[in-house]
Amino acid sequence: MDSNLSALTAFHLTGERPSGALDQLAQPNLRPALFGPYRDLKKLRYDFPLVLVNGDSGAGFVRSLSDIVDGILQDHAPEGVTGERLRQHLLKLETAARTLVADNGARPLGEIWSDAERKLQSEVDAAARQKLDQSLREARDGLSFGGEVIDCDRDMPTRLISHAWAASQRVRAKGLSDKLDDLTLKLNDILKTDAEHIEAAIEPEKLKRNVGKSFEGEFDFGVMSRLLQAAPGGDALPEARRRRINSLLSVFKAQRFLPSAEPGRKAGRRKAPYAFAFDSCEAALEAIQERLPEMAKLVKALAVAELEIANRYEPSKHDHFFRHFSHRQLHAEDFALFPSYLVCLNGENDNPAERSMLWQALSSGLPIKVLLQYDDVLGADHHGGERLSADLKGPQLAAMALGLGDVFVLQSSSAFLYRLRESLGKGLASDGPALFSIYSGASPGGAAGSNNSAAIAPYLKAAAATESRAFPGYVYDPQAGADWASRFHLEANPQAEADWPMRALQYEDTGLQRDTTDTAFTFIDFAACDERYASHFAQVPQSNWHDGMIPVQDFLNLDTDSAVAKVPYVWMINEDDALYRAIVEDSLIGAARQCRDKWRSLQEFAGINNSHAEALLAREREVWQKEKEQELEALRGQAVPAGCGGEAQTTPTDPEAATDSIGEAAGEALEEAPEEKSSDEPYIETPRCTTCNECTELNARMFAYNDDEQAYILDPEAGTYREMVEAAEACQVAIIHPGKPKNASEPGLSDLVARAEEFN
Amino acid sequence: MTMSTQLPHCLLGMFDDDFSLDDYKGAEPRWCVGCGDSAVLAAVQRLCRDEQLPPEKTVFVSGIGCSSHGLHGRALPVAEGIKLHRPDLHVFVITGDGDCCSIGTAHWIHAIRYNMDMTVLVLDNGIYGLTKNQVSPTSPLGMKSNTTPRGTNLEPINPVSVTLGVRNASFVAQAVDWIPELVQNIVTAAFRHKGLSFVRVLQRCPEFLDGRYDPWVKDPGRMLLLNHKDGIQTSPSLANVYRNQEEHDPSDRNRAREIASVSDPIPVGVLYRNQNVSCYENPRGPDRLYTPDVVKGVLENELDRFTIHASGGGDD
Repeated sequence: MDSNLSALTAFHLTGERPSGALDQLAQPNLRPALFGPYRDLKKLRYDFPLVLVNGDSGAGFVRSLSDIVDGILQDHAPEGVTGERLRQHLLKLETAARTLVADNGARPLGEIWSDAERKLQSEVDAAARQKLDQSLREARDGLSFGGEVIDCDRDMPTRLISHAWAASQRVRAKGLSDKLDDLTLKLNDILKTDAEHIEAAIEPEKLKRNVGKSFEGEFDFGVMSRLLQAAPGGDALPEARRRRINSLLSVFKAQRFLPSAEPGRKAGRRKAPYAFAFDSCEAALEAIQERLPEMAKLVKALAVAELEIANRYEPSKHDHFFRHFSHRQLHAEDFALFPSYLVCLNGENDNPAERSMLWQALSSGLPIKVLLQYDDVLGADHHGGERLSADLKGPQLAAMALGLGDVFVLQSSSAFLYRLRESLGKGLASDGPALFSIYSGASPGGAAGSNNSAAIAPYLKAAAATESRAFPGYVYDPQAGADWASRFHLEANPQAEADWPMRALQYEDTGLQRDTTDTAFTFIDFAACDERYASHFAQVPQSNWHDGMIPVQDFLNLDTDSAVAKVPYVWMINEDDALYRAIVEDSLIGAARQCRDKWRSLQEFAGINNSHAEALLAREREVWQKEKEQELEALRGQAVPAGCGGEAQTTPTDPEAATDSIGEAAGEALEEAPEEKSSDEPYIETPRCTTCNECTELNARMFAYNDDEQAYILDPEAGTYREMVEAAEACQVAIIHPGKPKNASEPGLSDLVARAEEFN
Repeated sequence: MTMSTQLPHCLLGMFDDDFSLDDYKGAEPRWCVGCGDSAVLAAVQRLCRDEQLPPEKTVFVSGIGCSSHGLHGRALPVAEGIKLHRPDLHVFVITGDGDCCSIGTAHWIHAIRYNMDMTVLVLDNGIYGLTKNQVSPTSPLGMKSNTTPRGTNLEPINPVSVTLGVRNASFVAQAVDWIPELVQNIVTAAFRHKGLSFVRVLQRCPEFLDGRYDPWVKDPGRMLLLNHKDGIQTSPSLANVYRNQEEHDPSDRNRAREIASVSDPIPVGVLYRNQNVSCYENPRGPDRLYTPDVVKGVLENELDRFTIHASGGGDD
């Protein structure tokens, strides 16, 4: 082993640097080489900034600025040269707006847009100004909604999810408020209908008022009142029912789960509506507990109201049940009627008590939506003998929530959150609990320390966390189906089928020629963004590069034996975009392997390289191969007696002939079956009876209708044989069979028997 | 009924709605002995009992004729009004060949087009029986009656063919009163269909057209039973008697038209069925509830347009 390689290997295994040979990473200036093109995000079109869309404009709850601009261009800028002016101007406007948000923070879309317009206007001369103004007017026309514009920063996840939650809450509230309005209206209808029956309604004075002044001279209201009193009216509403309905109405009015139903009027003595957003699971659970009795009261009122309206409330049965109805009888489905609860947590403030409350909330089955934000997934570097491990707190918590089975789990870094907006909406709208595990990529507040985010934008950091599988994105939706295949999706990750995503790294070689190399973005690259981990890397000048240095993704695939005399490296660049190789200490490699193993289990959940499926496939393939081989053997064996072909042809026809004869036999048997009925006893083919009354009119003791209003012979001896025969003759569908006479002494029998012949 | 909570479902179970045929019987109808109306009435009563339709949620609207006594030819518009205002009710329309195909023709065609969720039974006996023997639009060519003493010289209307000609038709079936099991099955399929189901029931009139259908009643081979999993299936016992059958897919409208135009053998079963035709009442529902406050607000706004301001200042 040459001395150079042994120095590299020594660092890789021990972290020791021979003096002067290997430098620690020159952080914060070095960054992963793949970050090269993303130095200035303001100049790039990407998912941020986001617009939190106001109200229900039909545009969804969130749109990215780029999407909005694309939408306007699609509607207002025709393809080709005609649309070019607007395209150019609008894209410039977008860049200006993005810069404004990045520099000055969140503001309403209208303001940002105007500022960006002014900036563009200040940059052009008078000649170009007119065309620019025209474009700006057209763009303004295309802007159909407003909202707060936010960038990818530490507050983004909370703001986005709170905003989306509020939108889903409006839908839920509307569902409940429509229900209450509908029931109120119908209950009032019942009371009103009754009021029209009561005597007060037909008093002469009331009648006179109802007719109005124009025609009051035309009627004698006293007489009218008397006439109406004599007329048969409906039954008056029982007093108990009226009281019941009135109490339902007052429960509806007093409920506090919806914002005041009459916004125009003063709330008066009404208590303030409940709040549903909390900053700890403890507070949320406490509030739910406290509200349970009120909730049960409303659920009960809803149920009674529906029964009342369907006219299906039976006091003798239902009173007892409802008297004992309390929150203990509430089902998870009942909670679906009510607003959901939102809890925003930050993983940095984790404590055991709140963690246990979180599990309680998530396993409750109730619509509690929890945002668990992480600003740091790697954690501080533990020196001093403690072996470093990828202590991925966020991913672990979310993975544990997957184990609960009925919790909606969405995990994503900030960078991919916009792409998951539809799933986000689903999770918030679902009737059960949901956990949103989000990595912000921003520097954590408080004492957690700096992790070099000054140099790397939160968006990039967040994207790197997902790319490197350190914080993989996924969605688990328990409502989406019965199995993992329909519930679990990993699509939010780049190249989800691979261990690490492969990217093309384009660079200029020493001869100033363009070259490309494929390189993976691994957990090691993510750690290399973090200056707390700089000591685990050593940058190697090109003069010291050695064949024993291999890319990290290849190194990770080596077994222990082949890894001997190999040193893993990652590509880095400095602020002048010069390429470096940085070799990696072994402890970090261990963490990368752990991270990859966790990623592989997620892949298995999603059906990628699933070990059970692969084992099954291998087994089936083996069985299949054996079968095929046996078939081949058999064919080879058959090929020898070539002269026997004639016989083989005749054989297959035999089974067909056999089935034919069976079919014929069965058909004959079927035809014979009805003939078996004795012709001595009279009978009716009841199912064919058309209820025409011919026979029953003739003799109702002899013929009667069954429960289906179809005739049968009730008592053949309840009348004469003559009646039986006449009924058979009169029957419209000739289904009465008179049989043989019972009483041999009845006169004229021989004639009757002859007439009956036709029907037997 | 849609329930807002799980509760009422369980609670409805506590209310034993065990409706029997008697719950659907009123006065005894005064029909001639042997009238086909009886078979239809019995089938409809059995349907109500089998589906356990609450009597107070079930409406029968009729025109006029032997079958029923209502507004002549106007049963359909009345039924449409009921369905629009009370979509929760089960609406049945009983009409006849004169009522539906003569004075009510305009309503009939448009009701098919509206495709509101109701069951329409046309009791077609081919004669004005109630008014004692005058030709109806479906009377057979050459029939002598009080109004056509030398025999009618007009070809009858085929109500099934006409209905199939309306683009929005969604359920068209034909039954005959002398095969009660089929009447029952067809009426049941019609009731369960979402949309307007049009059922023509061919009926015998023992009084004025006696014997018209005798050849078909006596010879089961002259009936054609239409079978399909999307229509109705003939039971084995019935299939034993009526062996002339055809597997007919009710989504095939062209074949349905061909079948409808045949009068011998008489086709019975579901000729056409399309569950994807939208119902007029569905998109008609108001997008908001008309609570007293909403109604008041709308009226105030409307009346404000006519307000004359004393100050002469106009809108403010």
